Amino acid sequence: MQPTLSVQNLSIEYQARRGRVQAIRNVSFEVHRGEALALIGESGSGKTTLGLGIVQLLPSTAKITQGKALYRRDTLTLDALTLQGKALREFRWKECAMVFQSALNALNPVLRIADQFGDTAKAHGYLQGRALQERAEQLLRMVRLDPERVWKSFPHELSGGMRQRVLIALGLLLEPQLLILDEPTTALDILTQRNIMDVLKELRAKLDFALIFISHDLSLAAELADRVATVYAGKIVEIADVATTFQDPHHPYTIGLINAVPTLRGAKEDLTSIPGSPPDLIELPPGCKFHPRCPLADYRCREQEPELEPIKPGHAVACWQWRSARAAMEKFRS
Amino acid sequence: MAVTATVSTTTPRSFIWLEKIANNFLLRRLVKAFFTIWIVTTLTFFIVRAMPGNAVDILIQDLTAAGMSADDARNQAASLLSINLNQPAHEQYLEYLANMVRGDFGKSYKSRGLKVADMIAAVLPWTLFSVGLSLLITFLLGVGLGALMAYKRDTWIDHLLSNLAATLDAVSPYLIGLLAILTLSVTWKIVPIQETRGALSPGIQPEFSLEFFADVFMHVKMLLLVYVLSSVGSWMLRMKSNTVSVLGEDYVTVAKARGLPDTRILTAYVGRNATLPLFTLLAISIGYVVGGSILLERLFTYRGVGFLLGDAIASRDYPVMQGVFLIMTVAVVFANLLADYLYGWLDPRIRISGGGQ
Ligand SMILES: Nc1ncnc2c1ncn2[C@@H]1O[C@H](COP(=O)(O)OP(=O)(O)O)[C@@H](O)[C@H]1O
Ligand SMILES: [Mg+2]
Repeated sequence: MQPTLSVQNLSIEYQARRGRVQAIRNVSFEVHRGEALALIGESGSGKTTLGLGIVQLLPSTAKITQGKALYRRDTLTLDALTLQGKALREFRWKECAMVFQSALNALNPVLRIADQFGDTAKAHGYLQGRALQERAEQLLRMVRLDPERVWKSFPHELSGGMRQRVLIALGLLLEPQLLILDEPTTALDILTQRNIMDVLKELRAKLDFALIFISHDLSLAAELADRVATVYAGKIVEIADVATTFQDPHHPYTIGLINAVPTLRGAKEDLTSIPGSPPDLIELPPGCKFHPRCPLADYRCREQEPELEPIKPGHAVACWQWRSARAAMEKFRS
Repeated sequence: MAVTATVSTTTPRSFIWLEKIANNFLLRRLVKAFFTIWIVTTLTFFIVRAMPGNAVDILIQDLTAAGMSADDARNQAASLLSINLNQPAHEQYLEYLANMVRGDFGKSYKSRGLKVADMIAAVLPWTLFSVGLSLLITFLLGVGLGALMAYKRDTWIDHLLSNLAATLDAVSPYLIGLLAILTLSVTWKIVPIQETRGALSPGIQPEFSLEFFADVFMHVKMLLLVYVLSSVGSWMLRMKSNTVSVLGEDYVTVAKARGLPDTRILTAYVGRNATLPLFTLLAISIGYVVGGSILLERLFTYRGVGFLLGDAIASRDYPVMQGVFLIMTVAVVFANLLADYLYGWLDPRIRISGGGQ
């Protein structure tokens, strides 16, 4: 089966005062229909930039320096990065809906929820009036909202979690094939976060879209994703299915991230965080970008950057030391 | 136990009514408005009388100089100006208040016998018309150009308009008026200055005819131009900064991600949110429509309220001054009230917190 989205050798830079920020460097991945891919990584690793790039909503200081994002539906194939004008407008939301990180302010404060649905539907020649309302109410119930309460409300009359769910429902309105959720729970309290995660899991079971789930929280990715891509300094350093990522990770950074996740049962000493901080994306270190923080780094790591290479079907790692990484990291922990 | 419970939970009916009235938003605002007007009226009364060289004294001096005895001069002045100088100040004040409430601003000291209310009524329409029209033009122009500057920010259009707006905003209206006369009337001779004197040419009757409107426009055009030029700058800059900040809001980016057409985003998403605060300002500005500008109306000899007030100040015609100040106060206070309501009506976030409680 052809993937819904295949990103190929994508690089994105920001022009900042200090120089060029290499936010995304030569990234390639695929998402299939019905599949959820989680992009995880520390904040500042370029995850949002990637999402914005796909829907062409990067700020004017950003530039896509290379790559493609091929989107496929049925027999249609198009490169999302080269779309313009009407085609781009139609691609957005109808083919690919992106729910943003800061959803609290994502809805126009002077329009009722009903009007925000109406606007979206009208822009794409979708249902209107009574039919639209019925469809919207169905979606609102799907995200566990009471349509009676929400439909005629203004955004400020809803809580953060409710607004986030309205946005998710709005994202599903046009039945897009691709949904990008950028940290959909980050600004919310833990209970609301729980609730949204449950909603998302239900949606995944009911509907059949390709999902890119962006998060810095591994445990959320574990719950929702089929595959996990670990992003470090603008590059995917490991990609594997979710079970492999958690049980058999091979990149020292992924291993470090997983060790840093507190488990309810785990003793406190188990919690090892990764020393140091992510590199400056303007002046990247030579060689592997993770080497300054990597306990396994040797001369080669300091000089040559490893590319993502498949080590097993469906599992790729960008690390010179991937064969020995797991055992060696175990040693460093004890 | 049961008894105390019922007492504490059921409030007498009349009490609830009182509470409702006390909590009524409009009522509270109205009371505040009237209180403000009363304070200003009172201050006007006392300040005007505390100023040196009041018209009554001047008239008495004139009459004594003409050979009258001091007492005779006093009586004559009092009857001419129909004020009772022998009353103690607090009685004068009460009478003054009662008159004000009845809309009786007294008679002019200078134009003897003319009622202040009639004098104001004669000039008010011209000021309402000229300032009101210029406010409307300025608002539309400012909003349009401000949004344009924001959309084209950091292009030559933005730089040009921003500098122009900042300059217009900084230069005094009087100077703009003088420059307009110097360039348009003196140097280029496009607008003959004597032609624009007054609000209407002699012999033209107010009627619904092209001739009348053409004449009205001929007289008001210079004043209008200067009003617009002198205030459009600040509207442009405000609108630009509002628009720039709204353009950075998440809901605008999300609207783009939702594939909404640019025109819809420009009007309902950017425009509506960026102009919201401006409507308050517009409503407040309406309060100043009745005042006109003393300096500009004098400069263009446009007989409006500002012109009348300027004359009254020059000749210390207190009743006229009082009358003009009073209607200006009333207009400003009610414009503010309107502004509050308008904002609450336009912005759903205020609608809840303002109206409900
Ligand atoms: N508008 C911008 N101008 C310059 N640099 C930016 C801009 N937006 C993001 N960046 C930089 O790009 C990198 C990636 O940012 P982002 O994609 O937001 O990361 P994430 O979503 O993973 O937290 C960061 O180093 C950030 O500082
Ligand atoms: Mg982000």
